Amino acid sequence: MTTARVGEKAPDFKASAYVAGEGFKNLKLSDYEGQWVVLCFYPGDFTYV
Amino acid sequence: MKELGVEVLSISTDSRFSHKIWNEDELSKMVEGGIPFPMLSDQGGRIGRAYGVYDKAAGVDIRGRFLIDPDGIIQAMEVLTPAVGRNPDELIRQIKAFQHVRATGEVTPSGWEPGQATLTPGPDLVGKVWMAWKPE
Repeated sequence: MTTARVGEKAPDFKASAYVAGEGFKNLKLSDYEGQWVVLCFYPGDFTYV
Repeated sequence: MKELGVEVLSISTDSRFSHKIWNEDELSKMVEGGIPFPMLSDQGGRIGRAYGVYDKAAGVDIRGRFLIDPDGIIQAMEVLTPAVGRNPDELIRQIKAFQHVRATGEVTPSGWEPGQATLTPGPDLVGKVWMAWKPE
């Protein structure tokens, strides 16, 4: 399995998503080629920080 | 982020259903109109594993942030354990610096902010960085 490293291609993935105003969608990271992307992981909805 | 032309994607191991309710019931009270970017679901942690941020014991993705350029290359990453939140100011500084580097081929010294001097790499600069730049 690929591992994320700086200077290398970001591992592509598919995910289901919620988008406010649009509802549920299926997205791929590669949909965003040609744009800058910030991908932010976080531990959980409804937690404190 | 919009002004910088950057797309934000947030991602956790919660379901898209949880994201919807969290956005509608809580986040929309913190941010008017709620969260404007896609909230991705990584149930099972498959994506977190690929990015080295999946905590197997807790079953969640820890706080990892990846800046990806228009070619799909990761230019920067930051990973924190859950108790400390991020600093968006530093992320924004890094985005501006990476965008400047991509546009000009120059490089940016430590702590660089837009408008400050940059460095142009090449043989003439070797041993002479001190003339162009000093730490504050």
